Parts: sequence; structure tokens; C-alpha cells
Amino acid sequence: MTVQDRAHLPIRRPSFSGVANRTLQGSKPDWDLIGHPVPPEGAPNVLLVLIDDAGFGNPSTFGGPIQTPNYTRVAEQGLRYNRMHVTALCSPTRAALLTGRNSHAVGFGSVGEFAGGFPGYSATLPRDCAPLPRILKDNGYGTAAFGKWHLTPDGQQGPAGPLDRWPNGWGFDYFYGFLGGGASQWDPVLAENQKIIGTDPAFYDQDDPHYFPDAMADKAIEWLHGVRGQNAEKPFFLYFSTGCSHSPHHVAESWAQKYKGKFDQGWDALREETFARQKELGVVPEDAVLTERDEAFPAWDDLPDKLKTFYARQMEVYAGFSENADENVGRVLDAIDELGELDNTLVIWIWGDNGASMEGTITGSFNELTMQNGIPLTDEMQLQLSERYGGLDQWGGAMMDPHYSAAWAWAGNAPFKWGKQVGSHLGGTRNPMVVRWPDGIDQAAAGGIRSQFGHVIDIAPTILDITGIPQPETVDGIQQAPMHGTTFANTFADAAAPEFRTQQYFETVGNRAMYKDGWWLAMKTERIPWVLTPDALKPYAPGVWDPDASPTELYYLPDDFTQAHDLAADHPDKVQELKDLFWQEAEQYQVLPLLTALSTFFGMVPPIEDRTKFEYRGGVQNVLSGMVPRIYNHSYTISADLVIPAGGAEGVIVAQADHLGGFSLFIDGGLLTHTYSMMGVFVFRQQATEPMPTGDVTVRMEFAADAAKPATGGEVTLFINDKAVGSGRMDHTVPIRFSGYAGMDIGRDNGGVVDRSYDDRKPFAFTGTVKKVVFDVQPHLSGADELDLHTEAHRGHAAHGLSG
Amino acid sequence: MGFDEETTDVLIGGYLSAEAAKEDYESVRQCGARLWGAVVVSKDLEGELSVEQTDHLVEEGAAGLAGVGFVVGLFAPPLLAATAIGAALGAVGGKVLHNKSSTQIEQIAGETIPIGGAGLIVAYKHVDADQVEQAVTRAVKKAVGEAEGHHVKALKGALAAAQAKMAEQEG
Repeated sequence: MTVQDRAHLPIRRPSFSGVANRTLQGSKPDWDLIGHPVPPEGAPNVLLVLIDDAGFGNPSTFGGPIQTPNYTRVAEQGLRYNRMHVTALCSPTRAALLTGRNSHAVGFGSVGEFAGGFPGYSATLPRDCAPLPRILKDNGYGTAAFGKWHLTPDGQQGPAGPLDRWPNGWGFDYFYGFLGGGASQWDPVLAENQKIIGTDPAFYDQDDPHYFPDAMADKAIEWLHGVRGQNAEKPFFLYFSTGCSHSPHHVAESWAQKYKGKFDQGWDALREETFARQKELGVVPEDAVLTERDEAFPAWDDLPDKLKTFYARQMEVYAGFSENADENVGRVLDAIDELGELDNTLVIWIWGDNGASMEGTITGSFNELTMQNGIPLTDEMQLQLSERYGGLDQWGGAMMDPHYSAAWAWAGNAPFKWGKQVGSHLGGTRNPMVVRWPDGIDQAAAGGIRSQFGHVIDIAPTILDITGIPQPETVDGIQQAPMHGTTFANTFADAAAPEFRTQQYFETVGNRAMYKDGWWLAMKTERIPWVLTPDALKPYAPGVWDPDASPTELYYLPDDFTQAHDLAADHPDKVQELKDLFWQEAEQYQVLPLLTALSTFFGMVPPIEDRTKFEYRGGVQNVLSGMVPRIYNHSYTISADLVIPAGGAEGVIVAQADHLGGFSLFIDGGLLTHTYSMMGVFVFRQQATEPMPTGDVTVRMEFAADAAKPATGGEVTLFINDKAVGSGRMDHTVPIRFSGYAGMDIGRDNGGVVDRSYDDRKPFAFTGTVKKVVFDVQPHLSGADELDLHTEAHRGHAAHGLSG
Repeated sequence: MGFDEETTDVLIGGYLSAEAAKEDYESVRQCGARLWGAVVVSKDLEGELSVEQTDHLVEEGAAGLAGVGFVVGLFAPPLLAATAIGAALGAVGGKVLHNKSSTQIEQIAGETIPIGGAGLIVAYKHVDADQVEQAVTRAVKKAVGEAEGHHVKALKGALAAAQAKMAEQEG
């Protein structure tokens, strides 16, 4: 066997060393020609698990109220890391995790949906930063990813690609999951490899409905069995990235029921209980102090008694949802164990890609998208809307897309302040991690705690270190930038191993921190993370905001685990030193300009697209939510060429998303009907007063907006063969986005339906022929309107992205 | 004091769920006040209308709520007024009706009540206002009108006043 040059990927095949004569006479085969790269001897399997939108104080393994027996068994057979850090936002953490580089440096300073015009925010992986799965794959690993991806820009999630931004393009042999930042767990629009496959048919099975977390584990196990059936030796890299615990918080009632009454004490008391357990477990030092509640969160005792049940239920569902994720990871662990390979599998399991999410606002929501669409609903309204869609018993069911209160998130991030999006504080950036590898971790050390300061960029270098695979010098002939992370493999054997990371910047949506040698400078913008109103943004406009004038807090973490004691006033020189260092790091890693994630709010928008007509022929299905024609905030038309058979036809002509936000143009009872759901808060329906003729028929729905402005009302007119046959008013339309995940379908309404009147016939496929559907999104706009609306659209895009 | 001489209050409430409206409806019925009548109208997710009413006016020998034409003018909450990307929602458009028969209530309410929404109207003696208003705890919007005079005319007037106040809240 020839020595494989792993510095240059892909590894070159050996040149032919046999003999090829004119005939077989005297010829000598070289069987190495049909070989393939193999990893270094003894390279272990790797299982990398990432939970979504969860906090340090959530899992019981770290003192939280959510029972995580599988997380605990991994920890007890391995190690707990209690000073591991992420980036405070989904995509940046994922990019850093999979590349071993700071997120801005690889174009992911913000979320995947938001492809900004600066290098740190392009959402496009540089070719000189080959990611970990590609490196492992080229070195002979089998690689697969399951679950949430969130590293593909919104407009690139269809068959036109570019597909190098999909999981396979990052080096995964196999992918099963969803491309966006969040998905329904009941009817997600799924992708498999390079195809959007839509909602699983089992969604329609009422007796045994599809549940994505279960399916994820099933698919992962199936993949493992397939790999082992073919090759008993090839090590695998399995990236298991759960949709849980991101909203919508979907789980079967039996899981939520386990927590019935467990949160009646409220978030303030829950934090104190968690903190006490954290000290008992030793994951928080004995001298640590529980941080105070910020005034952004209400005191539990101040809530009206009649609404406490509503709030408590939100957390019960979240907890059940999270425990289910633990259960499904446990199934994967068991499957590896059954193969006899668990001890030779390096398990790295991070509980949260950022702190728990506060995007449910204070009230929590029956529909997570209400916040992104700027719909301020009181808690009583939220409660009533949940009643409309089945009541609190259905909070985790398919009829709602729930998100809990920001205050529960804060409690889940105990003992720290704040949460997701707040890169300046540990509530957004410090998450639990456990590592298990009996073949590499002395079992005498099992159950131990490691407290070195680490960052998610250190994971990939550690995996490469353990597998014996070097960081490549070139990939596809392109010189590679070095990883920024550092291996922490030496901490496996030595609890007292020296700090491997002494310096790290953090930045998320302008919230910044600079860590060095135990000191942490926090520079939080004063904006409440879930508020994006003009007044809230005004102080951050270009020419107005001076980042150096922002309030600063200084903590010395070796003595202050929780960031409870602000030392800024006593150490002005340290404050200045760390400020200066932050600017150096920001420049080095493409963090600048700050607030690029919000740049659309300040007039920096991509060029306006020329295309104003979108034509879909045949049975196009599962057009992802970020790629639906932009019909928001202005007039538009949807027309369709149909063939209606002699006996008539029924079914959906075109539908986007579901009853919690979407539209459907359909024929029922012989009547053309249009239903429009304004985020499930208001539902408008218009119906023709004349029956549908047979033969070749053109139908059209026209929306005449009152004005080209966000959330405009307007008049709907239905036409059959250019004759007006019905009309109605929609007082309010969706300003930003119908859904974070549900797709658009021609000739049917996949997944949850828009109009509940045909739910019993879903997907209510059209029984005639839909020849084509055409969206005209610019029938009446002036140039000025168009620029305004374009700007609004991208502001909405940014708002959606920040919830990723 | 005779019925024709009393001050009559009419409370209208808007809801985002039928459950909330029915909860207040039951609460009002059990609050101890003497009601002239109450009606709750809701529309489910499939668009089916549901009407429940108690009509004590009939017992009084009067025309009754149906005769007066009580159909809920359900007003949408002002959802987006304070946000970056929203404008206030307008009223769905309450309709003051004129002597519709009870069978016409559903037809008119069908045009007025949004899918998934509900409305409540309660008519009662002004002297019982505290009891009734405190029983209505879940309306996302509510308004009270009052009027004096002949009972049918008074009820119509009070309803119109309540609707006007509701409309002002929208503004």
C-alpha cells in the first residue's frame, strides 16, 4: 500500500504500478488502483450531536429540570465540559463547528438565510476553508448528516442550487433533514441529499403519524446499518443535529404530560432550583452567585393568576420536546452499541447551538411567526388563539407552531443572564457539552468535569487530532486557511491540563464580547433581542451608533462563573485593553462592519431582482418558504390555466404553507375559492358566486392593495375566463413571511392545509389538470413603491433570519 | 321603575376564540345581574357559524334580542399599530341591524364574524353594570353603550353607542 498524502485533498490515486502489455500475456494487475482512501489506523467513529436553541440550565445532566438520562449516561461514562462556548446564533455556531474556524471568517456572521454583501456575512463558505466532513470524507470516512442544516441561503434551496451550498457540498455522503433554521416536527418539508422530498407521507397517518425526531433517529440507524452491511471497517462521522429544541415546540402529549405541574412555581423559582442542583452536581462552582433577573422579564409573581397555567404549559411542552430529543439520541447510541462499536466511537454532544431562544417574546406564541411578522399579541390573545387551534392540550400538536415565553428561555439559561442572540453574555454563549470515548478516555476519569475555556471552533481540530488526520494544505488545488480552533484532546486524560483557549471574540447582532486570560468584556447593545421596532433600531443607525460608547461590563470568570460581579468601574485599563483587542480580532476575522445582520433596516439592500413573473408548470411541489414569489405588501395576481373535465373538478390549484399563515386557491363544490390566513390570527375567504365551467379554463385571483405598504389591506377579486365572479376584502395581509418552513405546492396542499374545510381530504389534490400557475408580483407598482417594498422585504428577511 | 324608564346598557366584546367568548357568556349569566339578554356568536375554522343566546326580553313580552337585531359587530384588535411593519387593523365592520328575524341573525353574523372569531353582546340594567362588566374578563376588546327610553329603541341606541366606542378604540 502506498503512503497516502493527506495534506492534499482529494487524496490522489496511486499511479499504475503493474504491467499492461498488448495482451494479458505478461501483464500484471495493480489492485491498488481500485482501492480508496482509508483513515489512519485506529481512527475512531465520530458521533457529533448538536441540540438546538437550548440553555445551560435545561438538561438534568447540568442541573436543569428536563430529564436527560441519555445525556447523563454519556457524561457519566465520559466527561462534562462546563466552560464550552458557542456563538449565540444558529448558523454561526454550525459553521464554526463544522469548519473549525470563526464564523465570520467563513461568511457566517449571521444566519444562513441572510446572504449579506460583506465577506463576514455572505453565507457562502470560502473555498479555502474546507469543512470537517469534506476532510473526513476525503480521508476515507463515511459521512452523514441528519436533521437541521441551516447553512444554505434562502434563495438557493431548490433544484437550481447552487448545490455546493447544500450538505452534500460540504462533504456529507448522505443527508436527511431540513435546510432551514426551523421546521415543524409533524409536517416538515424535508430534503434528502440534493432533493426536496417534502412532507413524509406518514403525516397523513392518523394512527401513527410522522414525527421527525423519531424519523431522524430511524434514518440515522438505517444509514449506519447500511454502511456496516457493506463495509465492516470504514469509520463513520455522523452529525446528528436535532430540530429540537427550536420552535415550533412540537411533541406528543405523552411527553409533555411528564412535566404536568412541574413548572407551576414559575421561572424565578425554577432558576433557583436549577442553580442549587448545578452546585450539587459540581457543574457550577460552590462560590458562584445566581445572576439577577433583568427588568425585561416580568416577575412570575406579577403575572395574573389566570394566565399562569398558560405560561406553565409552554414550558411543559418545551421540556417534553427536549426529553424526546434525548431519547432519540439514546436510540442512536444504542444502535452503535449493538454494532459493538460504541466504545470506539468518539461522542461529542453539545446541548444547544446557542442559549435558549427568547424569540417567543414575553407572552410566548401559538405561532412563532407572529413575532417575526411584527404582530404584537397580548398573552390573553395568545391564549385565545391557542384555544382556537385546539386549546392548551394541543400546544405541542400539529395545529400550532408554538414558542414559549422569553422568560422561560432566560430560566433555561440559568445561572446566566440573557440568551440566544446575546453574544455579549454567557446566557447566549455558554452551553453544556459532554464527551465519551472509552477507548481514548481512561475510565478512571469517567464522570469527571472539565473546566477549561473552550469554543465550538475547537471541536473540528480535536476530531482531526484524535483521528490522526492532518488539516489539509490544499483541497481541490486550493490553498487552505488554517483552522482557528485548537485541540483539547489532552483534557481527556488530565483535568488539570492547561487552558487551550486563552483568547476569543464573540459577536452576534452587535452584541460583543472579548475574552482573554479569564477576563470577559461584555458589550451588549441596549436593544431587547426580540424587539425590532423603529424606535428600538434608531440608536443603531449609521452615524448615530458609536460602538465604543456602548455600556461595558467586565467580569473575571475564574472567580465569577456566572458573570454576577461587574468589575468595569474598577478596571478601566482592562476594559480599554479588551476593547482594543476586540477591534483587532473583528478586523482579522471579518466581523466588520458591525450590525451587518441589521443592515437592511438602514437602507443596505441587495439589488432589486428583475423578475416579476413566476411561472410554475405541472406538479411543482415543496417550493421552500424562502423561495415563494414575493407577494407581500402590494398588489399581485395569481392566474392558472386549468383543464376541467366534463364531470367537474375539485382540489387545490396552488397553496402556500398552512392555516397558520398562507394562501390557497382551490375549487370546492364547483366554486372557485381563495383563502388567506394572516398568521392564523385572521382568516379571509372569498368564493365565486358562479360555478366553474368545464374544458379549458383560466382562473385568476387579483389582490388590489390599498397602498404599497407593509401589511396592507386590499380587495380580492376572483375571475373565471376574465369575468369577475367573486370578491371580498382582506383588512390585513402578512407583511413578511407566511411560514418558516412550510412550502408551496401546485395542484395540491401538502402537509398542514391552509383552509381547514378540506383538511379531511388533504392534500386535496386537483382532480382536473393544472397546466400552469403564474404569479405576477408587479402589476401595479411604481418604481418608488418597488424600492420601498424591496427594502421592507429584506428587513423582514433579516428579522426572520435572526430567529434561525 | 318600569322597563321603559330604566337606563339600559349594552356590552359588546370581541374574542379570538369561541371558548373565551362562551366563558364570558356563562360568567355573565351566572353573575347575578338581571339580564335582558345575551348572545354569543362564533365561527369555527371551517367557517361554520354557531349562535347561543338567552332572551329574557321575550319573557318580558318585548320584541326580544333577535327582534332588535343583535348581531355582533366583532372588532378586530389593533394588532400592528406600534410596530415597524404594521398598520392598525381596521374594524371588521360591525353592522347595526334593523329588525332582523332570528333566522337572519346567522346570515348577517356569517358575514361579520371572522373565521375562528367570536363575539358577545349582553344587555342589562345599568344598575347591574359593575356585576356584568366584572364578569367579562376575556374580551380582547369590549365597549359599553347605554340609552334610555322605550326598550327596543333603547337597546338599539345602546348597541350603537357601544359600537361607536369600539370603533374609537380602533382609531
